[in-house]
Amino acid sequence: MSTVYSRLAFFLPLGLTIIWASAAQAKSITIDDSASQAIAPSVSMHWKSAAPSRAGGGNLMVGTTTIRVRMNVMPWLRHSGRIYLSLPTQPPGPITLSWITQGRFLPGQLQSGSRVLVYAGPITTPFMEDTLTFQFTVDGSLIRRAVPVTYHFEMDED
Amino acid sequence: MTPGHPERFSRGGLCRALLGAVLLAVFSGSASAYTVTLDADAPMTIYLQVGVGAFTADYCGGTSYPPTNQTPNCGPAYGGGTPEINSTVNTVSASLTLAEVGNGTKQAMTTNSTATNSFLDGYVFCTVPGQLYIGGFYRTAGATTAAAQVTATVPAALTDPHGDTLPFSKISWTSSGNGDAGAEPFPAGTFVNGGVQTVGTMASNSWNESCWTFSYLNNTVPASGFYTGTVTYTMTTP
Repeated sequence: MSTVYSRLAFFLPLGLTIIWASAAQAKSITIDDSASQAIAPSVSMHWKSAAPSRAGGGNLMVGTTTIRVRMNVMPWLRHSGRIYLSLPTQPPGPITLSWITQGRFLPGQLQSGSRVLVYAGPITTPFMEDTLTFQFTVDGSLIRRAVPVTYHFEMDED
Repeated sequence: MTPGHPERFSRGGLCRALLGAVLLAVFSGSASAYTVTLDADAPMTIYLQVGVGAFTADYCGGTSYPPTNQTPNCGPAYGGGTPEINSTVNTVSASLTLAEVGNGTKQAMTTNSTATNSFLDGYVFCTVPGQLYIGGFYRTAGATTAAAQVTATVPAALTDPHGDTLPFSKISWTSSGNGDAGAEPFPAGTFVNGGVQTVGTMASNSWNESCWTFSYLNNTVPASGFYTGTVTYTMTTP
């Protein structure tokens, strides 16, 4: 009896692992873009309008940086998928992110807490690359010190 | 498999299977998010204008009010101007006849300043020569701070070439602006006789402006002469 239990114990975790992996691929999976390189990882934020309005407001700060994005899409090779740029909700508060590309990915704009499609189609190469110029826009009253902002790319497999 | 110990082998296989699953999970979790750092560059900007000032153009563009481009889409990227330095020292003066001197009737003073329009959007805010424009802004990143202070450094007295003096406290001003209602950022006041006095405040991240109308109290009879004195205005951020 003990042997039977042991085999069940062996196969049960393995089976769960396979099911979990399958279910995860049907959802969004963060893509490994650790090979990406920022030309300037620190984004200098400056006033969008140097002078404020009479009633206050108009206090947005903007900053631009260029990043050579290199995604490892090997796990989805010879499949079709949709790649999204996701900007989670995070400090210092609401962030608007817009970007232009060199053509491999789609340009776009999003607010923190959302994601936007940057690619849809077949994955034909192990790596996908493009140079993206990002512009971050944040209320200047929220920038009290240097603040890290994190984004990621995620894959929805068709 | 060693007879009598089937469960030991099975446990070892289970451990290896779990280890493999853990390693698989770790490998799958190597996907990364990318982090950039947002840092305010030159977060503080100040501008103070007393009398004439200098912008390359109205900040919100155009030469007439209302401007073509509304805030917050103002500034150089929208055809608007940028602040510049203007070293002009404007005068405010009054000339009294012998009959008027010391008669107790306040005498209106006029300025040689030509500043009537706000450099923010071209709005005609002051009237010359009866009013002196004072305005500016204090830009700062981060949370709202205490207001910037604008002070006047006032000599003890106006003097003439013969050494006669006239107290600066004989000069006062009222404050207003075309279309304004409510409190002025640079309120009415009277000069002190020597010293530094606060003449207004600028709330952070807003454009502040007033028009001053000066008058001479004219309640004494000083020696006849041409009295002058220079008041220097200073803006101090918290």
